[in-house]
Amino acid sequence: MKVSSTFLTPFSSTFPLISSILQNHRKPNYIPFRRYSCVTSSSSSSSSSSSSSSSSVTPISHKPQIPLFLRPPIYSTTQPDLHNFITWAKTLASSIGSTFVQIDDGPDSTLLLRELNWFLDDAVEDPLDISHGRSGTSAKRVGLRASLDEMYKLWGSRIQERRPFQYVVGCEHWRDLVLSVEEGVLIPRPETGKIVNLAEEGLKEGGVWADLGTGSGALAIAISRVLGKNGRVLATDLSPVAVSVASYNVERYGLQDSIKVKQGSWFEPLKEFEGQLAGVVSNPPYIPSEDISGLQAEVGKHEPILALDGGVEGLDDLFHLCTRMSIMLKPGGFFVFETNGEKQCKILADYLENVTGNCFRDVTIISDFAGIMRFVTGYRI
Amino acid sequence: MVHFLARRSNLRSQILRQTPKICAFLFSSKSNPQNTQNFPPYYHKTRESNFQESTFLFGNAIPLLNFSGYSTNLIKNAKLSSGYDQGLVFSSGVRFFATQATAPATSDGLTVEGIVASPWPILDEDEGDWKSHASAVAQSIHLIKKRLQWKKLLVRLDLLSVELNKPNLWDDPVHAGKISREHGSLMGKVKEVMDFEQELIEHIDMLKLAREENDSELESETMNALLRMRRDSKERELEAMLAGEHDSASCYIEVQAGAGGTESNDWASMVMEMYKSWAQRRGYRVTLVDEMPGEMAGIKRATIKVDGKYAYGYAKAEVGVHRLVRISPFDSAKRRHTSFAAVAVIPILKDVSTRVQIKESDLRIDRYRAGGAGGQSVNTTDSAVRITHIPTGIVATCQNERSQHQNKATAMAVLQSRVDQLEIARQAQMNSQHTESLTEISWGNQIRSYVLQPYQMVKDSRTNYEVSDPESVLDGDLDGFILSFLSASVDKHGNSL
Ligand SMILES: C[S@@+](CC[C@H](N)C(=O)[O-])C[C@H]1O[C@@H](n2cnc3c(N)ncnc32)[C@H](O)[C@@H]1O
Repeated sequence: MKVSSTFLTPFSSTFPLISSILQNHRKPNYIPFRRYSCVTSSSSSSSSSSSSSSSSVTPISHKPQIPLFLRPPIYSTTQPDLHNFITWAKTLASSIGSTFVQIDDGPDSTLLLRELNWFLDDAVEDPLDISHGRSGTSAKRVGLRASLDEMYKLWGSRIQERRPFQYVVGCEHWRDLVLSVEEGVLIPRPETGKIVNLAEEGLKEGGVWADLGTGSGALAIAISRVLGKNGRVLATDLSPVAVSVASYNVERYGLQDSIKVKQGSWFEPLKEFEGQLAGVVSNPPYIPSEDISGLQAEVGKHEPILALDGGVEGLDDLFHLCTRMSIMLKPGGFFVFETNGEKQCKILADYLENVTGNCFRDVTIISDFAGIMRFVTGYRI
Repeated sequence: MVHFLARRSNLRSQILRQTPKICAFLFSSKSNPQNTQNFPPYYHKTRESNFQESTFLFGNAIPLLNFSGYSTNLIKNAKLSSGYDQGLVFSSGVRFFATQATAPATSDGLTVEGIVASPWPILDEDEGDWKSHASAVAQSIHLIKKRLQWKKLLVRLDLLSVELNKPNLWDDPVHAGKISREHGSLMGKVKEVMDFEQELIEHIDMLKLAREENDSELESETMNALLRMRRDSKERELEAMLAGEHDSASCYIEVQAGAGGTESNDWASMVMEMYKSWAQRRGYRVTLVDEMPGEMAGIKRATIKVDGKYAYGYAKAEVGVHRLVRISPFDSAKRRHTSFAAVAVIPILKDVSTRVQIKESDLRIDRYRAGGAGGQSVNTTDSAVRITHIPTGIVATCQNERSQHQNKATAMAVLQSRVDQLEIARQAQMNSQHTESLTEISWGNQIRSYVLQPYQMVKDSRTNYEVSDPESVLDGDLDGFILSFLSASVDKHGNSL
């Protein structure tokens, strides 16, 4: 039950604390690195013993935050006051220059200024008010989706605390989706989008697919939209915040009937689907523990450690998933995993081909758009 | 009102009877019954007559006929044939021959050109003098025709009609599509002017009739109608300047800084701001597509998208090099500097079928690449995409959208428009309508100087139009420059039509 106490922390207002709480807290489902051979029987509960505790976590009701752009424009200010805010925010962003780039490859002023435009797009009701600025009159009220005070706080947190922009506005534009995100949920990365393209072929067949460690629900939603009425998606996550945010996103896209979001560890909540899954996709935590402290502030200080830390080699969860997959996938079932790069890809591919004992075929390593080996795909025999 | 309408239509048929020439011209038959077979199969389905609404000329005179104009998506031409399942087969090969048209005239033989040549004074609108209204409208029609290069237009239209009447036209569907689209668009313009002209003549007849019959209600109705026409004609004059094939389209405006570092980067961003506020003043929607900031200040390059009717028609007047003379705020020695910024304007073609088909395999797509491990280790909102069209070397970049997906889509749209523009330029050159080189077409020559010091002036070297208030120009007050350039380039063809 130690797990739930961590997640019960109210994230909404004390976000800088979360990371420190989580950082001190080792992941609950740590599974020591073990090599499994191909298991096809259904008597497989033994292999998941180490994570069984998590499935009994009582789901707590976390209320997902509404992204800034969806909030009602119930606040207002004057054009000169808005203009003052913009001037202040620009100055703050410009003052950064390339400081963050030098510290940890963070954003530079150019990018921060672009983010400021997006922030204004989301916060100000009528985009025309943004450009008027200086020449505007104080007579006309400018509709806002957050009070001007809050806007100062939000933009301040972006620069001074390096709070990720996506948490500031509460959403991430990912592929053709706009997904709600908040502290406690990983912000989906552009690289991950390729998983959907890789699965496309397999998705034509329909069937039941699983997205393990769904986070914001990004993959589950994208995949479900390809599947259409042809299939269903089961999405799991250990984090109650992720589960509630994913459910919210699923609802926003009207996919409640096609996607089931379940709380629990990896395949644990999906026991009834053993041997039935047509496809499995996952982007589990894969950063080696020792690299965590050197991460860019936006990631290391603000994103949930549960979503990032993959154990000593970063492979703990990937191995766990690969092993269980032989039981869960139906014959001919397809899988895609995301990894940390070349080294992990090769280890994993080798493991799937040689160690699991002829469970899988056509194991392939695929690079992301930056040319870094990123994905491992294959089929259950 | 009923009374008025009834009278009007009555009068119409009366007028129609008096002007058999108009009738003859619109029905002039180069009939070729086999033609029908040459039209594509969708021919019968595509149109419920566009023509019907505009057949006022026939009014009640031929109420039995049910017309369907042949049309592909764009075409609004005067091809009359019976609806194929309804009523009378009128003709299947009638084609409008524009040069055979005779100008409409009133019962006593007054034509628009006649009015233009007459000494009728043009008084203020509120003088309420019908001759004055009529004369103003006639002047407008004259100017509109001049701007449209009326005679040339009619000849071209006939040429296209001949082409369209060829029985083997649809053997080459691409060519046929092009011909019929152009025919349709020219036809639309011609018809619009002719309708307007006819309307004027009718009102004059009606007014005279009303006076003869002492019908004061009809007289005042007609006066009002004339006044409405007078006001309407100003708008039409303007639109006639924007009669180019793509003038009504939205567009991209690109600004590129000349050599000279920070000072010219700053100038480029001033020029960009000028266009943003110009576009916003005109009620266009402006979105930033691509921007490459300068090292210290300003921009090296930027592209905005300007959405709205005639955006391209107006903005194309700005293509060229813009020169700035001022004491540079970036020069501690306070010397005078001259900087340049080049402006390109690219239409966004509306008709998908006229766009160049870009092959996926001809593209190279580069995405922003975070340093280091990527994946979970990196969180950046930078999702810039650059697309290169390998055969032409055209490049489009976008980084202002919030996802890679969107950046790619936007960059692709810009690329498509650039490739289209190149193709248009290439074809124009083949038809030798243009003698400029392709680079001249896209970036042009120096067109305007903005002098901030030692004196204040903005002057267009093409038209010599100048103002002494650079501040207002840089704030987007560009219409004076744009309209003077457009009218100069359109109205330069002497006084003949
Ligand atoms: C790297 S994030 C990926 C999120 C999302 N799929 C994406 O690609 O944006 C990994 C996710 O795995 C979840 N996770 C970590 N341990 C888990 C476990 N034992 N069972 C289920 N999910 C877990 C985390 O909460 C996190 O949401």
